[in-house]
Amino acid sequence: MANTLRLYLTCIRNTLEAAMCLQNFPCQEVERHNKPEVELKSSPELLLNPVLICRNEAEKCLIETSINSLRISLKVKQADELENILTKKFLRFLSMRAEAFQVLRRKPVQGYDISFLITNYHCEEMQKHKLIDFIVQFMEDIDKEISELKMSVNTRGRLVATEFLKQFI
Amino acid sequence: MILLQSHSRFLLQTLLNRTQNLEKGVELDHHWVEFDDVRYHIQVSMKNPHVFLLSVSLPTPSSETIFVCGLPFGAIEAIKAAYGNLVQILDPPRDGFNLTLKINLSKLPSNQEQKHAFLVKVASVREVVLGAPLRVVFQHLAARTVAPDMDPVVALVHRPNESFFLFPQADKVTVVYPMRFNDSIDTVLATSFLQEFVEARRTAGLNNTPPCSWSLTSPLELKGVPSDSLSANAGFVTFVIFPRHVEGQKLDRTVWSLSTFHAYVRYHVKCSEGFMHSRMRRRVESLIQALDRAKPDLEKKISNNRSFKRLSLKDSRTNSFS
Repeated sequence: MANTLRLYLTCIRNTLEAAMCLQNFPCQEVERHNKPEVELKSSPELLLNPVLICRNEAEKCLIETSINSLRISLKVKQADELENILTKKFLRFLSMRAEAFQVLRRKPVQGYDISFLITNYHCEEMQKHKLIDFIVQFMEDIDKEISELKMSVNTRGRLVATEFLKQFI
Repeated sequence: MILLQSHSRFLLQTLLNRTQNLEKGVELDHHWVEFDDVRYHIQVSMKNPHVFLLSVSLPTPSSETIFVCGLPFGAIEAIKAAYGNLVQILDPPRDGFNLTLKINLSKLPSNQEQKHAFLVKVASVREVVLGAPLRVVFQHLAARTVAPDMDPVVALVHRPNESFFLFPQADKVTVVYPMRFNDSIDTVLATSFLQEFVEARRTAGLNNTPPCSWSLTSPLELKGVPSDSLSANAGFVTFVIFPRHVEGQKLDRTVWSLSTFHAYVRYHVKCSEGFMHSRMRRRVESLIQALDRAKPDLEKKISNNRSFKRLSLKDSRTNSFS
């Protein structure tokens, strides 16, 4: 299990390393504007082929690249209803704090749970390889956090039930 | 605090305060609300500082629950049995309340321990009133009989417009709770908690506890009950209570824990959400730190790479004069 996760993450890391060569590129339509092309998709010649990396049906990562920006969208596995709720709650919590994260998109791309938008400005003020480290660590942390949250809910449930039933002994 | 306490803490504090300074005339007029929409009102006037008026309002009963004179059946008898002649029931009760008690504080037992025990008993008035019907049913169970005038299905109020159901039989009483939650997250968490109840019952140490089951559809016993009171989004929990669970000392505890089962689950669902929030906040902080690591540390570089040394005033003087 841990091994397939590592392969998945390594694949994403390599893809990001290749894809993250962004340069400043002013908007072609409006003078003195500079917009992330991956969001606008105004001119097809500025977009590169999107890459979809799947671990399985439930877990995938879409990397869309353009000349001056890069969008990473993640879908996190949700095995049951409890995991689904926990994931939703946690990722919503993160998205609401997108301001603090700079590279986090406020809303995920449709069909995904959370998205990042990295522009050439981010690449200029942060070190590229460390930025990739952050994305990979983020993915690891989300998985870990959700499984820990689920465990804590179950443990608490068990404790609560045991304490309640003990009263009848 | 894992288990809910049966006495209202604020009421107990007020009572203890009052009895300690009985001579001092104080004007008291407090309203407060506790879980499951139980409201309290206390009143003490300057003229009669010994008289303590306590009014309690219960959750609004749903249509299938029977209230006798605004109280669950057996409540008046239970109050009389619990408090004796120290407490007087005022009829009619205060406007907007189901019950008003008049407590004469000057007649309390002089023994400190007895006095404290009595005040705790007064503070757990909700247990006495709301648990009264359960107590009646369980007393019959302990004697292995069924009360002759009892319906086959007894609905008891535990939350505003919501009831749980009892099926008294001579050798066992089945208790069914329809579990409703307003929030979808609450529902999912509660569902997983309730499944843990069923699991926990199977462990070795808890073999003597009441058998517990959980299902999404209503159990067969509830056939005759109107369907609008059976809309439960977190399923139905059933406990089967045997005479051994209500013997002697255990009766009080069983009554209290069964009458607040819903509140107990709800309380822990909320606690669990609170815990999740504090955890997520911590995780966000650690992730932001990870992102900050990606930023090159500009200031540090400047201080390390400084290739010139600014002369201080003292240095420049010595330089120029020498």
